[in-house]
Parts: sequence; structure tokens; C-alpha cells
Amino acid sequence: MTKAVETYACLYVKEFPAQALLRLRPELQNKACVVMEGKPPLQTVCSLNTKARLLGIERGMTQVEVDTFPKVAILTRSQQTETAAKAILLECAGAFSPRIEDRSEDVSLLCGVDIAGTRGLFGPPEILARSLLQRVRSLGFSARIAISSNFHAAICMARGQTQGGPIQVILAGDEAQALSSLPLAILGMTEVQREVFAHWGIRTLGMLANLPEKELIARMGQGVKRLRQLARGEMPHLFQPVEPAFTLEERIELDTPVELLESLLFVIGVMLDQLILRAKARILALASITITLSLEGAGSHTRIIRPALPSTDKQLWIKLLHLDLAAHPPSAAILNVVLHAEPGSTSKVQLGLFSPQLPEAGRLDVTLARVKAILGEENIGCAVLEDTHAPEPYRIGSFTVPSNESAISASEQSRTAVRQLRPPEAISVTLQESKPTHFWFRERRYTIEHAYGPWRVSGDWWNSTLWGMEQWDLVARAHDGAMLCCSMLHDLMHKEWQMAGLYD
Amino acid sequence: MTEPYIELHAASAFSFLEGASSPESLIERAAKIEMPAMALLDRNGVYGSARFHTSAKRNDVRAHVGAEVSVSGFGPRLTPAAWLPHQHIAEPARVPLLCESREGYQNLCQLITRFKMRETTKQEGSANLADIQQYASGLICLTGGDEGPLAAALMRGGEKAGCEAVEQLVRIFGSKNVYVELQRHQEREEEWRNQTAIRIARSLRLPVLATNGVRYATAYDREILDLFTAVRNHTELDRAGRLLSVNSQRHLRTAKKMRMLFRDVPGAIENTRDLSSRLQFELSDLGYEFPRYPVPDGDTMDSFLRKRVEEGVVRRYGPKRDAALLERARKQVEHELALIAKLGFAGYFLIVWDIVDFCKKHDILIQGRGSAANSAVCYALEITAIDPVGMDLLFERFLSESRGEWPDIDLDLPSEEKREQAIQYVYRRYGERGAAICANVITYRGKSAAREVGKALGFDQDSLQRLSGLVSQFEWRGPKDTMAHSFHNAGFDLQHPRIAKYLELCMRIQDLPRHLGQHSGGMVICRGQLDRVVPLERASMPGRTVVQWDKEDCADLGIIKVDLLGLGMMAVLKDCLELIPKHYGDKVDLAQLPEDTEVYHTLQRADTVGMFQVESRAQMASLPRNKPEKFYDVVVQVAIIRPGPIVGKMMHPYMRRRQRKEEISYPHPSLEPVLKRTLGVPLFQEQLLRMAMTVANFSGAEAEELRRAVGMRRSWERMKKLEEKLREGMRANNIDAATQETIIQNISSFALYGFPESHAASFALIAYASAYFKVRYLAAFTCAILNNQPMGFYMPAVLVKDAQRHGLRIKPMDIQVSEWACTLEYEDDGSLSMRLGLGYAKGLRKQAAEMITRSRLDHGPFRSAEDLTSRVPLLNRKELTLLARVGALNTLAGIENRRDALWQVERAGKLEGPLLRYREDLLKEDAKDSPLQQMSIDERLVADYAGTGLTIGQHPMAYRRSQLRNDRILSAEELRNRRDGDYVQTAGCVIARQRPGTAKGFIFLSIEDETGIANVIVTPDLYERERLVVTRSKFILAEGPLQNQDGVIHVKATQLRTLSNQGLEVHSHDFH
Repeated sequence: MTKAVETYACLYVKEFPAQALLRLRPELQNKACVVMEGKPPLQTVCSLNTKARLLGIERGMTQVEVDTFPKVAILTRSQQTETAAKAILLECAGAFSPRIEDRSEDVSLLCGVDIAGTRGLFGPPEILARSLLQRVRSLGFSARIAISSNFHAAICMARGQTQGGPIQVILAGDEAQALSSLPLAILGMTEVQREVFAHWGIRTLGMLANLPEKELIARMGQGVKRLRQLARGEMPHLFQPVEPAFTLEERIELDTPVELLESLLFVIGVMLDQLILRAKARILALASITITLSLEGAGSHTRIIRPALPSTDKQLWIKLLHLDLAAHPPSAAILNVVLHAEPGSTSKVQLGLFSPQLPEAGRLDVTLARVKAILGEENIGCAVLEDTHAPEPYRIGSFTVPSNESAISASEQSRTAVRQLRPPEAISVTLQESKPTHFWFRERRYTIEHAYGPWRVSGDWWNSTLWGMEQWDLVARAHDGAMLCCSMLHDLMHKEWQMAGLYD
Repeated sequence: MTEPYIELHAASAFSFLEGASSPESLIERAAKIEMPAMALLDRNGVYGSARFHTSAKRNDVRAHVGAEVSVSGFGPRLTPAAWLPHQHIAEPARVPLLCESREGYQNLCQLITRFKMRETTKQEGSANLADIQQYASGLICLTGGDEGPLAAALMRGGEKAGCEAVEQLVRIFGSKNVYVELQRHQEREEEWRNQTAIRIARSLRLPVLATNGVRYATAYDREILDLFTAVRNHTELDRAGRLLSVNSQRHLRTAKKMRMLFRDVPGAIENTRDLSSRLQFELSDLGYEFPRYPVPDGDTMDSFLRKRVEEGVVRRYGPKRDAALLERARKQVEHELALIAKLGFAGYFLIVWDIVDFCKKHDILIQGRGSAANSAVCYALEITAIDPVGMDLLFERFLSESRGEWPDIDLDLPSEEKREQAIQYVYRRYGERGAAICANVITYRGKSAAREVGKALGFDQDSLQRLSGLVSQFEWRGPKDTMAHSFHNAGFDLQHPRIAKYLELCMRIQDLPRHLGQHSGGMVICRGQLDRVVPLERASMPGRTVVQWDKEDCADLGIIKVDLLGLGMMAVLKDCLELIPKHYGDKVDLAQLPEDTEVYHTLQRADTVGMFQVESRAQMASLPRNKPEKFYDVVVQVAIIRPGPIVGKMMHPYMRRRQRKEEISYPHPSLEPVLKRTLGVPLFQEQLLRMAMTVANFSGAEAEELRRAVGMRRSWERMKKLEEKLREGMRANNIDAATQETIIQNISSFALYGFPESHAASFALIAYASAYFKVRYLAAFTCAILNNQPMGFYMPAVLVKDAQRHGLRIKPMDIQVSEWACTLEYEDDGSLSMRLGLGYAKGLRKQAAEMITRSRLDHGPFRSAEDLTSRVPLLNRKELTLLARVGALNTLAGIENRRDALWQVERAGKLEGPLLRYREDLLKEDAKDSPLQQMSIDERLVADYAGTGLTIGQHPMAYRRSQLRNDRILSAEELRNRRDGDYVQTAGCVIARQRPGTAKGFIFLSIEDETGIANVIVTPDLYERERLVVTRSKFILAEGPLQNQDGVIHVKATQLRTLSNQGLEVHSHDFH
């Protein structure tokens, strides 16, 4: 069997973020449009259409700079749209060959298609290119296509050629000639290489291709060999086809709306079997499961379950799903179920022979899930102190295995214990000369006997989240003689009095 | 009367990044809340005390002096508990010390000096217990706030450790001199420490003292402190966490508030008053004395000085052979010596004379300038080079009896090396602790503020870069030229709250100190030990020490400095004095330069590129009008292009009179002798003095007082009194009211900016010398000025082109011939040419260049690129490429052009591995010739400018001339032949951009082509429209009407365009 001659088509879509957004917005097609990225207020232009470029807008300009140009439509970069658009384009290219390689860069889409042996199906390469371009255009993109028997030559040609129409076909053996006028900048070079070539006056691929190889390598090292091969269209290529993404997802349309959780669990069990089977085939486990339930009346209900360790234990998953759904039941009857699982590596916990017995990870997860179902997810974990003076200087972090050494020994001094009220309870306070004298707390009126304070704290003045408060430590007595030692705070931003803590 | 409260523990922004208000604003706030006294304790120094003292005097507040001193023996200062996440770094605790007496102050200064100088580089440093034990007397110690030793000890070991720490302080300072300090910033932890401190005070029977540990004047300034904290810790506000302050309570609080806060602690407030009254020392009681000059037995300083001066008079005036002049000089000298003796300044003159003498003996060119040139004594001692008697200069401007301050002598030296020699001589002579350089306080300015605040607020590098590039360096601040405008131009949205805050913070920290640098040359000398007067510390330059005050502070406190300033042109003249005899065979003496008509013609043509003081665009625009014909005209010329005469509207009347377009008249006939030399227009400070003396019978001293009163905006009241006296005097001399008004107007509008005639004369001497050398010895002058860059108004590229236009042949840099510096060479026809030095290869290390020249000297010329790399292994790849690129290797064998060289050095710079190194057969290259194309003209230009900053080939504009001619674009030369008012187009390379403060926002561009320099005026409107073209373009095309008046040519631009920049790295001199 004779091997088909290598032939590659390269599809190049420049200004991809802009094109991806604009293809679904025909109303903007005749306007200057820019796509901004970055965090406000520091967004900069990352992509733009031809109209905007003609106005003088460049990549990297800020919003205010763009505002100085008249009538420019400003869009925000969307990775989701780009991912979707990319999938569409790759799929489109995939229609011409099963072997496609994704070489995309930040703001352009670049994909190589192995079209060897497609002549019988799609005709000669020119024809194939034309129909590919037509398909791409019908999807709303403008693109360039180059065809060559050398993969890199096709890539260079597609990226570098700006004249002579959107389709370029390089005949076998003509690569060097065809690439010779392209600018050197399209090759990925190191800073040093760029500098040396600039000094030497080497500006095009042709000029580089003509330099004697041995002498060139003697001067610039082996790294330059690759560049020279690229420039001559001789660089061999190992094709790395894109594999279809591995997604663990099962979807089922229910014949009749289901309301009972138990009957749903039966269906879920079957789906879990499949997921676990597929994961196991790759020696993986399930790290998390997202369950999406479509509900009667067009709503949907999504939950994510993530145990401490990835697992392939079906019973554990069923238990966790059951607990979660019981705590967060869907509001209507269920029409279909999608289970999406994230793969994770199988558990590698190796316990020491003599180490104390720990609860089994799976069982701990079940227990934690039970607690979570009762308390709410955000209230489970361990408190992690933060480096700030702000009033709630901690966050809830996930449980971690504690390190052996406990670095800080507790202070020897005896301290007063305080029970902090979370959240603080609002109270009403009577003031005299801006000092509290009486207050109502939990339906009792207290008279203040001693007041210490106010302790003042404030911060984050440079942010919109600025805060400021006064705290008072009080000894107060109710009518019936009951004594209360407490800490009260006065939120200066919201003008509120709150009970923050009770001293033992 | 209610009990006053005195703040005895405050820090200013001179606690660099640990305080947020200037000493002045602290005093202002103190005055406002009627605090009768206050103490300033900055971190490890008295940096802010001088200003604090001066400002306190004005506001009638008593200023106590002290400092917080880091002491390593007290353990690390308080940080948050270890179990709390925080980023505090370990620093030693700081002990607050107050000066009770002069002895205490001297001890504090010596203590700080001791540990600062123990460091070998510029460092904070800290004292040890032995240090404070040695220098404890006269000092009062507080136990400190959260930075202090008590808080640190309490946190470390509770009450017991706290008690021990206080006992240790008592052992060091004595029980009468330790106060237990209580601060209440309304923080819980602090109050716990306070309660313990009160118990300790009670048990040790020590007084308690309320302070507020002030770090800023008003509560609002807490934001600045937080900002500084972030800057100091190299972090962002969002990430600074517990480094920041908990609240805003560290401001200067009122007595009422403090009394309320401390009403439960008896004595805490009262003790502030008692302690304040104990603190007798103030900075006015510094005890500074200028050193005495050691004289031989039998001589006093006065008699010794007299002898030296008498010798000098003979030496200086003898050769002039003018008996009358000599007689006048003797009389003047006598008058001056009497006054010097009376004021006790003989030592000062002798010390300056000693420095000058050292320089002369060590072949260092030195010349005094400033008002010292008014003194015949200085002239006789050869401190200055201007004859004040011959030029009839006014001595009182220099020294007057009533002023009660030290004379000010500035000495100009060739920059860097030679100046360093002189400075080191002073150190040697007066000891490491007897002399030091004045500090220079580096403050936050537009750019630095924008950069650091931006970083603290978490803006990204790119935006900050863009912003700092745009924050204007213009001299003139127009209505739109605000920081807000710069922010907007950098692409920031001012409506956004975070950016608005950014801008606000930038404005608020303007002028606050950032760190301490050193002054360019002001040296403070002291009798005895300078470190008893002010703490000394290391400067970042090795071998230098600086005092903690800047030169204004020193002047305010009556500390004398001698300015040893670097003046680039002095170095050029010095080089000329060596090159001219060597290459031209002529003997030249700066003091005896001939009056040369050719030199004056050149000045009149404004052909003055490179000449000292007369080369700027403004000077060039006035030279053809003023047409200097003799030395005194140059004196006027140097003085007239100054803000003073321009603002005082004196420049134009003088010029018109000079051009005989206006009648010469005098405000009053009696003023004719005073103003005759300047055509009836007062130009110099001395003339104003003499006017007052003539029309209102002022004494010399009174007149000088008048000048100073006018000069100081603050002394309005004094000015009013003097004005009244002036009027009175004029009335007595029967001068009518209208004339009186004119004279007073003259004086008040001008004195503020005026230039002393003596100073102008000193500068004019240098200006004339530079002009003379350039006209007569162009090769030597060009070589000297290129070897002393950077200096002056123009870039080397412009100097080279100018020299070439004047017929000098400049030869390219050549690895076989060039030295590090530019050198002179003889041509076959006997003429001189100049060879560009290797120093002009940007990025070549001097060490490598020296190895090249040494190798050439030892082993002859280099044979090939290989030979070069093997004989000078120090050269790295970058340097070889650089030399190849600029054509310096073109004379090596086997190299025909720059690309050949680049091809070969890339190979020569690489060694093979040991296996292949000796296998020449394998290494042999097939192709003999380089495969690279020769550089095009454009590429050569780009390489020249990138590699050397200049080109010795044709001017870039010359290559485009035919195209430009087709487009009817005129050259600089052609503009001269056009009539005033013609509409013209011209183009060139921008060599200078200026926006003078006096020009109301107009911008002047100097553009150069191959025929010369043309000037373009840009109106504020056009600038707003074409901001980028004006500020960024390297090659510019301007069109508009031509102004051709009296030989002065300007194009008043109505349109500006960028010509392509060709990637040339052309540098212009902007906005100075």
C-alpha cells in the first residue's frame, strides 16, 4: 500500500475574541468594535475589528483612550463564547478530516488539518480549501487558509501572508520560495535571536533560509536550526491530533415527571454505574458530581457533591446524593437528569501499620454531609484567621490534615473568655452624652453600671468596603438583678448598635 | 486657667515613612489648638527638628528636641501575637529620648552618630546598651508607646518583664529622668498595657506621662500613614493587613480631649507641663562654632590673613600696571579686612583659601562665584577671578556688618573626580567627625508619588509606566497641566472612586520626604566635633558622611557651609588648557585671555552651541539683538536671560536701548552713575542696593537688608517699614512722587529674582573662555566637551554636527586607534581632527576598553576578530556586537563592513567545547565571505544612533533633502534668507523642547538639519491638539509664518506633523 503524500491545510482566524463575539451580533458588523479584557477599571483592548483598527485604535489601549474615538462599540471578552466558537470551528474543520491539530494562540485561532488522502472525497486541495472557507464564512468568521505538504509551512503561510487572497496553496518543493517574503517576526524567536537577526539585517524568512547552516549554528547554537528549517519549509512535524475531550456525563430524559426521591435514586444508580465504569477504565475515580435536574415549568435544579477524596464507591455516592437532595429538594417534578462527573485520581492514602485507627474517609464524608445538610455548607470547615483588622478576621476553610507540630503554645496568662455572637444581635440603646446608659437585649432591659470604651477600629478606607466601629465593654444589670458582662458595638457606617459578645 | 497639655511624643514625616505630616503642619496644628509647646521625636534622628524649630519660632510655640532611638538591647519591638497572621518584621524597640540641656542634645547627636557610623553603608542601624549608657546624661527617657521597650517587655514576659525593663531604664538614665508613658488610642490591648504601666510606675515611684504617640497632624492623615506603611513594607494596601493602623487616633489632640481621656490617671496631664518646663534646650542654643585656622606662632588669624591678602594684592594688581587701580584696591582691601576683623570671619576666609590652595597645588581648576566675587579680599586670595575693584562691584552685597550672618562662598570645580579630591581633602583636614556634606531631602514629586501610590493601590506596572511617562516635567504649569490631566491622558477614568482616591493621595503626599540623599556639594565644617551639633550618618557613596539637615536647615541654624560644586564647563576648560599647548603649541592663561573680535562676532551671530551659559535657545534669540562687543556685555548677557529680568520687564527695555531703538533715560538724574553701565535699566542686585543708597541715603547694610526683605515674601511687615524709610529718604533728596513710585516699583518687582553682578561676572568669565576656545581651538574644545558629557544644553549628537559644520573633521570610532576618551589626531596636511573615543559606545565597559588599549600598546594592532577576542577576553558578546555594529571593527583584517564584523564576532565570541577546540579542520568555515548584506544608509544611521547616540556621517535629514526640496520644505539655512511673515515649511530632528515658566505655556522646539538649527514656536492651543507630536516625535515637520527679526529666526507653527522616525534613537534635551 502506498502512503498518501502528506498534505496539510491550515485554518487561521485572526482577532478571534472579536470575531467570536461579533458573529452573533450582525447589528455591529458595520461598526468599529473593540473587545476589552482585564479587571475594571484597568481593562485594555485585546482584540478589535478592521474598522476599529482603521480609526487608529490599537491593542493595549485603555477604556478612556478608546473613549476618545467616536462611536466605538465596546465588548467584553468572553471565554465561554470563545470556547464555544472554537468548538464549532474545530468541528467544522473536523468535517474534512478526522485529524486536526489545535495550534491556537491567545487572540487567534490556528488549526492544522491533515488532508492527506482526501482528494477522492473532497477533490484537489484548492477545492477543499475553498469549501472549507465557505463553511467557515457561513459560520460568520473570516479566515485564511494555506495548504502545503509541510505542516509548518502551511502554518507560517496562513499567519504571515497578507496578500494574494485568503487561500494559498504551496506546491510540494516550492515551500522555501513561497515563504521567502514572509516577515521573520512570525517565527517564535527568543529575544537574543531576534536581536542578532535584527543586527544582521535578516528581515524575511527567505533571507534566513539562505544563511549557511553550519556557520549559522556555529554562531547561534542548535536552537537556530529549527528556525532555519521553518524558514525553508523543511521542518518535520509530528502531528498531534486533538482528541475529543473526555467528559464524564450521562443524561436521561424521564418518561414521566418524577416527584419521589427514591424512584429518582434508582435511575441515578444506573447512571452512576456507567460513569464509574468509564472512569475506572481510565484508572480514575469520580472527584465530584454535578447533578442537574430539569424541572416542570422550565426551571432547573443543580447541586454539586464533592467528597474529601475521589471515590468509585457507588453506595457512597448514592448516600451523598441522597443526603444532599434531601436537604435541598427540587421545587417541582423532574423531567430529565444530567450527571456530570469530574474525574480525579484514585485514593492513595496509605496508613501506617501502627498509626491510630482513623475513621474511614468515606464514612467521615457521609457524616460531614449529614452535618452540612443540617448547618448549611458555608458553616462547615475550620476557621482560618486572616491578616486584617476587619471585624470578622476569619474565613471558613476546608478541613485539612493538621501538620504535626503545633507551632504556638498557648499564652500562659489567663484571659477572659468571651462568647462571640454570630451574627451580632441588633439591640436598642439609650445614650447620654454619647455614652450608652441603658439597653434592651433579648427582651430585657439592662442598666449599665460600668462602661469601658469606646474602642475604635476602622479600616479599608481606600475601598468601597470601608468600615468603622466603636466597641464598648459593659457591665450591666437587669431589673431582676441579673448581671450581664458584654461587648457591644456601634457600627458607624450603618449607624447600628449590636450585641457582639458575652463575657463569661 | 485650665491645665494645658503638651505633646511630648510626636513624629513627623521625617521618620521616613513612619510619620505622615511635615513638621510645619504639626506646628500649625499645635498653634491652632493653642498648645504652648511640643516635642518632635523622629526615628533615629533629628532630621525634622530644624524645620520644626524654625516653624515653631514663627508660630510662637516652644519646640522641644528629641528622637526615638533604636536600641538593640531591649529586644524586638511589639508585634501582633504569634498566633495571629501578620507580616511585621523584627525591628529593635525604640526608646523615646528628650533633650533637657545642651549636653543632652550633644549626647543625643553623638549617640545617633555612633551607631549610624558603625554601619559601613547607608543603614538604619541601632544603638546598643553600652552606647546609651555612655550618652545618657542630659536626656530624659520615656517608656514609649507600641514602639517602645516597655510594651515589648510586657508582651514578652508580662508585668514582671515590664518592671525589669523600666528598672533598667532607671539605672541608665536615673530615676528623675524616666517617665512612664501612657498613650490612649482607644485600643483594648493598649489599655491593658496602660493599666500594667500605671502599676509599675506606682511601684517604682515614677511619674506617669500622657502622650499621644502622634504620627500625623489631623485624623484624616491616617490614610497617608497607612499608605506609607504599605510603601515601607513593599506591599499593597489590600495586602498589608495588620501592618496598617487600627484607627485614626494618632493625631495631635486638644488639651480638652486629652484631659478627658486621662481624667482617671492623676498627674498624667500635669506632668506634661512640668516636664516641658524642665526641657530648657532649644535648637537656637546649638553651640556651633566655625573652626579656627591654625596660624604660626606670633600671628593671629587676622594678621595672618592680612599678610596673605597683601601678597595677593601685589600678585593680582601688580601686572596690571595701574597705580590708581592699585591704590583703590589697597583702600578697598583695607576696608574689607577691617570689617572681617570686626566680625571675626578671618578663620572662614583662611579655610576657604586653604581649600583653594590645595586645589591649585594639586592641579585642580577652582573658581569662586556668587557674591564672594564682590570682595577684593577673595580676589587677592585667588578665591575668585573677577577684579571687583576694576569692575566697581559692591562689597556690601557680600558682607555687611548688620546682617549677623556668615558670608557665602561657592566654589566651582571640574565635576566628579577632581571635586571628590577636594571634598576628601576637607574630610582629611577636619576629621571624619568634623566635616560632612549637607543632606538633600528627597521628597515625593509628581512622578515618584504617582508610581508609589499606584503600587500601593495595586495598579499594574503597565498603567503606572504609562502614567509616570506622562506626568509632566514641564517647568510651566498651565491650567490644564495638572496631575488630574496627566491621569486622564494616561487613560485613567477619574470618575472611578479608586482612581479618584489614587489622584487625591498623590496630591496629598507631594513634598513629603521620602528619604535622605546628599547635597551636590555643600560641606559643613565645625570646630571641635560636628557630631555634637547634628548627627552624622553614612551616605550611599563610600567615604562620604552627611549631616541630618539640608542646606536651608543649616543656614537657618547659622551653620556655615562651603559649597564645592561641580561645574562641567570647568572640566572642559581644564581639558582645553592641557590640549591646546600640547596640540597647538599655544600657551593659554584663563586670567589673561585676549579680547578677540572674532569671538564677539561669533557671539553676535548666536553661533554658540556648546558655549557656557550663552548656548540656550533663549540666549541665541537675544544675542543678535544685544550684539556683545566687550566683556561687560557678556556679563549683562549672562544675567539678562533669567526669570528676574524677564518677569520684571527689564529685558526688553535693555534690548531696545542696546539696539538704539529707545532713548536711554534714568529714573532720576542722580542714578546715572549707578545705571549707566546697563543703559539706565537696573539689572543687577548690586544696582538696587546702590539705588537705595543714592536716592534714599541708605547705608550699605540697610540697602542689603532691603534686598533681603524684598526677597522674602514672608517679611511683609519689615518691607513696609523699609519702604517707608526709602520714601522718606527720597523725599529728603527732593525726588518727586512719580519718580519715587517708579523706583520703588523697580526695586520690588526685581529684587526677588535678581542676579548679583559679581556672580554674572564669574560666569561671564567662563562663558567668554568657552567661546574663545571654541572659536580659536575648535578641535580641542570639541574633544574636551565630548569627553565631559553629560553637560550643557545640547546632546553630543548636536555638538558633533555643529563642530562638523564649523569644519572639524571627526573620525569614526576605531578599535585599532580609539582611546576611551575622544582624542586629537594630526592629518597629513598638518590640520587637527578628532577621533571618537570608545567611551561613546553605549554599553562598553570602561574596564574592557582599557584592556583593548593596553593590549594594543603591548602587542600592536589587532589582526582579526579572533585575535581581538582572544587578546581581550573581557569583551562579552554584547560588547563585541556593539563595536561591530557601530563600525569600530571595520579596520580589522578580513572585515570589509559592519555586517562582516557582526558575522565574524558572533563566531569569534563563541568557544567550542574542549573536544572540538583544537580541530581546526573541522571548524573551518566553507564560505569565505559573509553571507550578510551590507548595511543600507538607513540601517547605518539606526546603528550609529543606537550604539553611540550620534552619527559622524551625514545628518539624517541630508538623505531626504532632495525629497524635501521637491515638497518645498526649507532647510534651517534657507529660512535665514526668507522675509519676516513668509509662510514657510521646515523640518528637522528635534534636539530640544522647552516650556519656560515665563512664556505663558508657549513651547519652543529647536530642530536641527544638516545646515543648522531652526526654532519653532508652538502655541498652547496647538500643543493641546498635537500633544503627542510635540512631546514624542523625533523628526518633525512644521509650517507657519516665519518671524525673522533682527537676525532672530522662528517659525510660528500652525501645523505640526511627524516625519517617520526611522527607528532612530535620537535623544533631545527636554523641558529644562
